[in-house]
Amino acid sequence: MISRRNFLTTVALGTASAAALAACGSPAPAQTGSAANPVTINYTWWGNDDRATRTRKAIALFESKNPDIKVNGNFTDFAGYWQKRATEAAGGGLPDVMQWDLSYLRDYGQRNQLLDLGTVKIDTSGFDKSLLPSGQIKGKTYGIPTSTNAFAVYYDPAKLKSLGVSEPDGSWTYDEYKSWLKEVGAKGNGTIFGSTDFTGIWWQFNIWLRQNNIEAFTEDGKLGFSKDDLKTWWNMASDLRGTPALVSEERATQLAPKSPFGSNVTVAENTWDNFMAGYLADSGAKELKIVPVPSDDPDNLGLFLKPSMLMVASAKTKFKDASARFIDFMINDPEVGQIFKTSRGVPASKTQRDGTTFEGTDKIVVDYEKSIEKYLKDAPEPPIVGFGTLEASFKRISSDLNFGKLTVDSAADAWFKEAEDLIKQNA
Amino acid sequence: MTTMATPTQPKAGGTAPVQAPEYNPKSESVGAKRAKSVIFHIVALALTAVVLYPALWMVASSFKPNAEIGGTNTSLWSSNFSFDNFTTAMEGIGGVSTLQFFTNSLVLAIGAVVGTILSASVSAYAFARIKFPGRSALFGMMIATLLLPFHVVIIPQYIIFQQLGLVDTYIPLLIGKFLAADAFFVFLMVQFMRNLPAELDEAARIDGAGHVRIFTSIMLPLMKPALISTSIFSFIWSWNDFLGPLLYLNTPEKYPLPLALRLFVDQTQSSDYGAMIAMSVLALLPVLIFFLVFQRYIVEGVSTQGLKG
Repeated sequence: MISRRNFLTTVALGTASAAALAACGSPAPAQTGSAANPVTINYTWWGNDDRATRTRKAIALFESKNPDIKVNGNFTDFAGYWQKRATEAAGGGLPDVMQWDLSYLRDYGQRNQLLDLGTVKIDTSGFDKSLLPSGQIKGKTYGIPTSTNAFAVYYDPAKLKSLGVSEPDGSWTYDEYKSWLKEVGAKGNGTIFGSTDFTGIWWQFNIWLRQNNIEAFTEDGKLGFSKDDLKTWWNMASDLRGTPALVSEERATQLAPKSPFGSNVTVAENTWDNFMAGYLADSGAKELKIVPVPSDDPDNLGLFLKPSMLMVASAKTKFKDASARFIDFMINDPEVGQIFKTSRGVPASKTQRDGTTFEGTDKIVVDYEKSIEKYLKDAPEPPIVGFGTLEASFKRISSDLNFGKLTVDSAADAWFKEAEDLIKQNA
Repeated sequence: MTTMATPTQPKAGGTAPVQAPEYNPKSESVGAKRAKSVIFHIVALALTAVVLYPALWMVASSFKPNAEIGGTNTSLWSSNFSFDNFTTAMEGIGGVSTLQFFTNSLVLAIGAVVGTILSASVSAYAFARIKFPGRSALFGMMIATLLLPFHVVIIPQYIIFQQLGLVDTYIPLLIGKFLAADAFFVFLMVQFMRNLPAELDEAARIDGAGHVRIFTSIMLPLMKPALISTSIFSFIWSWNDFLGPLLYLNTPEKYPLPLALRLFVDQTQSSDYGAMIAMSVLALLPVLIFFLVFQRYIVEGVSTQGLKG
């Protein structure tokens, strides 16, 4: 039995040791390790078994080349990853180095949770200059892309052949694209449809805006396009909704969590080029192909490279130098490229990309990004805070439009109201 | 329920009970009775089918190849029946074996059961049987913590454990159980104990027993139904807990099953639904066994709680 006096002593001791531990947490001078006495940095990522295996291999390679640094690697699933980071950020315990997603960069960067990587030594000479701004906010580099994605139109050549529809060659206007979808829908006999409603995809809209030389967001974080632009966009599929050219929202919902394209219900889908492996696994198709998105201006496809993920460091890390060396290794080392192939996206650094041999599916994606090189323009800045909500409401409102619950005008009104409220809230 | 009938027995020496016209089920015709029974069983079976279908779907899908789960495949059974999903599931994730995840879950769940039983019963004894200053105020505060949403305390709690250097250990997940922080269980046991006749401990006290003796020899054996309900619930809650382990554990080697399950489905890469479902089936087994073994006590526990002593 603990007596009352003993109990008080215990509590006092506990409090004292907590205070002592807290003192350890305060910023200490940068520490470096040696081979005999290595420093340990924490690295965390999201992803499945495959990524865990590859990342562990890369870490082992890094440790063998840098005996003065040990890397403690941890991982969770994508959704849990951000709950955990939010709690850690509030508690002051973010890991030293983290795999990061573009949509969370501005949020954490603006709250000074991330290290300005411009202040440490990381080699970015192998990077396309159009890509780096996507990791920068107000002149500070918070994230460096490991790899890139580009937007594309996927199609299934085997299904097209069985329907007797010709394959697209990738230089097409929106009218040509739409009549191609109509042809597929007409020949699909109600079982195979053209595509999901492409006007409901935020990034496809964003690319269309770029094709018309409009930026989606202004530099001060406001909307860069007008309600009329949005109405024009949503009207573009008015004659296709309700026809077999586009799969109905109802059917798409039945198929969830798989996409209609992954379920072999549509022949085409517009999305990022890193979905290739997932689509192949879901659909069981032998081969899928990708071509550039349609554009009414053949010289301006509106395409850009988007970082599929970035490497960031915690602002509070005690091991800035070791963290920087690890990031530099993960983004530039050719052997790391060989380990990951395109499972993170196409390697962003030229040194890494050139040192990697790509085969099969990987080659299709890499060749696609090479083929659109001459059309690439600067990547947009990191999305505004709350972008995820905007993207989700864009999807939701346009699916109501597809259901026929809303007219184009009322849908545009509804989205603008939500977007403006959200931007005001976060301003 | 023979026990339910005891209080209604006429007392000897009292006034003769007035015979009220009683409902007699035997007066119904055999045919009507049979029809009623058939309808009852059909309705019950239909409801069972509706309730059990998701479970059946899960078990059936665990034997299907990944490409045949969801999407356009609506048939329950696949002609490509195989155990591949279970093989994949048992291989583990990122070098951590599935057995390790099971062991971790079991350690956490058993720790939670032991902790809750020990701490909640002692606290309940204090609240129900010992008169001490501030008892009702403390009891009120404890009930108030029941009303406090878990999400409000996540960050302050995390900061405390982080400053104490206890993140990435099982201590943050288990310490609350050993300190009776689960107010629901304390409350359940207090209510149960209040219904036990006070004459029992008064008799023990006259015989010279102290609080420890009264608690261990009189109260604990009588509280068996409440203890078993508590064990079942705290086992299942701990087994299914996702957020706690997610926030406090960093090393994959320490992850329990719910965290491991999520790793099979990754929105940014390909998802292995088959392996995830197979692992869900495996993860369900211990809970199912635990429930089947203790279910007769759960019914007893709930029904006796309704009895006035």
